Amino acid sequence: MFAIVEEPIDVAALISSAQRPDCGAISTFVGTTRIDESGEASVEYLEYEAYRPMADRKLAEIGAEIEGRWDVRVVSIVHRIGRVDPGEASVAIVVASPRRGPAFEASRYAIERIKQVVPIWKREVWSDGYVWVGSQVGTRERAGLP
Amino acid sequence: MDDIKVLLFGAAADRAGTRETQVPTGETTLEELWLLLAERHPGLSPMRDTLAFAVNGEYARGDTLISPGDEVAVLPPVSGG
Repeated sequence: MFAIVEEPIDVAALISSAQRPDCGAISTFVGTTRIDESGEASVEYLEYEAYRPMADRKLAEIGAEIEGRWDVRVVSIVHRIGRVDPGEASVAIVVASPRRGPAFEASRYAIERIKQVVPIWKREVWSDGYVWVGSQVGTRERAGLP
Repeated sequence: MDDIKVLLFGAAADRAGTRETQVPTGETTLEELWLLLAERHPGLSPMRDTLAFAVNGEYARGDTLISPGDEVAVLPPVSGG
């Protein structure tokens, strides 16, 4: 299952739907929003946006790449967009495989590929402005932004 | 003459001051379209080396031919996850 959602990700449901009698391993990677601080300012939340439907298709392509490389029986990738509060899941990857090796490797591969090719962007919303992560464009003066 | 629809995301939308624009042009290349865009939205120019482009939802190089009716997306460095 590959999806971009605007509501909290139900990680437990993703895991239980990956349970199969022919698989001895389910690996789960959950990316959560981390709060950074600098000086007196701190990140209040992250806000994600996606170019759809390209982003949806790229998630499915990553799934196909994984199925071509490893013996996996279930690959689910769900990415959340919109406002994501501190500590909440922004992305969840669940891979079921007969053996643990491919499950671990494939979930690592999925998150690295997401960060390379899926057209999704996040901005950190700080108490004193925001910054687009990766572009360093935004409204925070303290970060030395234009 | 029909237009080419251009979508802008993330920092590129900020710099251009818009998330969507129409560029009136005949058949052209992505690189030529970029020059028209940068002329209209000078704030985008400093981002040039960091940007990727998509044509009709797939990554495309500067020499890709585009025609009226196509959808072009201006993509800053992705930062999902």
